[in-house]
Amino acid sequence: MSGLNRVRPLRLVWFVTWFNVRMLLTSEFFILTTFITPLIFATLAFLLFRSGGGTAGQTLLYVALGSGMMGVWSTTLFGCGGAIAWQRWEGTLELLVNAPSRYDFILAGQTLGTVVLGFYGIVATLAWGVVLFGMPIEASFPLMLPFSLLAAVISLGALGMLIATTFVLYRHANALGNMLEYPIWLIAGLLVPISALPFWVRPLSWLVVPTWGIEAIRGAAIGARPPFGPIAMCLLLAVVYYLLARLMLVVVLAKARRDATLTLQ
Amino acid sequence: MSASAHRPAVPAADPVFAIEADDLVRSYETHTGVLRRHRLHVGAVKGITFGIRSGELFGLLGPNGAGKTTTIKMLITLLLPTSGTARVMGYDVVRETQAVRERIGYVFGGDRGLYDRVSALDNLRYFAELYGVDPAFQQRRIAELLELVGLNGREREKVEGYSRGMRQRLHIARGLLHDPQVLFLDEPSIGLDPVGARELRQTVRSLVESGKTVLLTTHYMFEADALCDRIAVINAGRIVAEGTGADLKATVANRTIVEIETFGATPDAIERLRADPEVIAVNSDQREQSEIFLVQSETGAQITSRLLAALGDTRIGKVIAREPTLEDAYVDLIATTGEPDERSARAASVQ
Repeated sequence: MSGLNRVRPLRLVWFVTWFNVRMLLTSEFFILTTFITPLIFATLAFLLFRSGGGTAGQTLLYVALGSGMMGVWSTTLFGCGGAIAWQRWEGTLELLVNAPSRYDFILAGQTLGTVVLGFYGIVATLAWGVVLFGMPIEASFPLMLPFSLLAAVISLGALGMLIATTFVLYRHANALGNMLEYPIWLIAGLLVPISALPFWVRPLSWLVVPTWGIEAIRGAAIGARPPFGPIAMCLLLAVVYYLLARLMLVVVLAKARRDATLTLQ
Repeated sequence: MSASAHRPAVPAADPVFAIEADDLVRSYETHTGVLRRHRLHVGAVKGITFGIRSGELFGLLGPNGAGKTTTIKMLITLLLPTSGTARVMGYDVVRETQAVRERIGYVFGGDRGLYDRVSALDNLRYFAELYGVDPAFQQRRIAELLELVGLNGREREKVEGYSRGMRQRLHIARGLLHDPQVLFLDEPSIGLDPVGARELRQTVRSLVESGKTVLLTTHYMFEADALCDRIAVINAGRIVAEGTGADLKATVANRTIVEIETFGATPDAIERLRADPEVIAVNSDQREQSEIFLVQSETGAQITSRLLAALGDTRIGKVIAREPTLEDAYVDLIATTGEPDERSARAASVQ
């Protein structure tokens, strides 16, 4: 087997991420959902807050970032599930699962590709706010902003990967994906502050990574202190989600081999 | 060569064998009913044993649903066997999946298994990464394979615009990216036009000449005969015969086939033909306008007038008495083996 080497994880994840971004950009439906939906969310949120009297610059930025993250979350759910479902339909899922490369690296790349595209939503929402609602662009800790965004991307990717493991096993797991969309908007404080939610909801909020992702980004943009805590939580939860996803994959792939579910459409 | 229960001895982990299957069984669980659900176990592969030597082209021949694809999926580590063992290049397909996957390539027939919305080149680059092909070597390897399968010059076109034959050749290139020692081809010529199928057979032949071990499944007898060193016939999850094409043909060498073209034959016509004590088997081939009965006997062409009499008022077209072919041997094996209920259904209509 001349010319062959062991699969290199980082190169593989990067390549799969890039390929998945390309594949997603060939889907008109995905483009429409990813590029238009955040703008609709942003418009609704701006109008809601304006009607409630919230017109200060920082409030608008708070709203813009939250609604941008709503779009990121929707894209993550839709993209992760959609990518697996699409591959199942195309008959490529079993080729990927059965490749000599570790499937968790492949899945990580696919999920990251989706999340990276999803973060367009934040950029689009900010631009929308500036152009249509006169929102000022400012950042309390501009140097922290890239780190906050990166931590949020990685952690959402890990969560997307965990969710995607169910899509590998079950054909109709997109029902679960749809079910998770709106509750996370509320629980993670994307639309309203967590402090406005009942106390018993808060432990749930701390467990879902969009809470810390948006905290990290808002902290860098409009916070009083650098968002080291939320960034650390993002990375910690990313590790926990990734390890859980790997564990799930072992179980899921063994079950798929036993029950012959990979080729079912 | 045997036409009944088939179980040649295959020594465990014999280095001579690239592929070994020992009493391999696979059953599926399925459910019926909505409110009162009943669990059913369906046996897809019911204890098959065979060994394929390195550099050999082995054909697994059988009708749809015989267990060919299930067998391949167990050998390529996609499915767990319910019981029995299998090894590829000496590695156990259940416990040593990674080692097996690094050494095998596989191609399933049909349209699926490619990324349609990108080019053939993008598909091959992607799978080259997944199969761990050295980046410095990828470009050359992909160019070699495009040349081998005759897709050079078309590699930048989107796969969605490819014909079925081009897609099939791309599948083969994909399966060969990491230069596997063993190649599994599951009905690779399905749906191809005659020219495409012939080109594909040439490609397969050149792969074997280059030293690859190939397991080919097909339900085309002539394809198996033209390509394979040895053939195993699988029916209803069991291997019912194994040998060279000549071995298989020998099972019906002493018979005569009388082909009777009929128009508007009633369902009991086939039973009347079978009732003749000198008839060994009757199969039918349903055409658009007519139905052709293929009657096997050991008495030669002199049985023809009796057969025509048995058909009574049925309108008769061409009647031909001929020597048996490999296809007749295959049809006979399929019609006379398998589960009793399946056998009666197949006997009524075997192509």
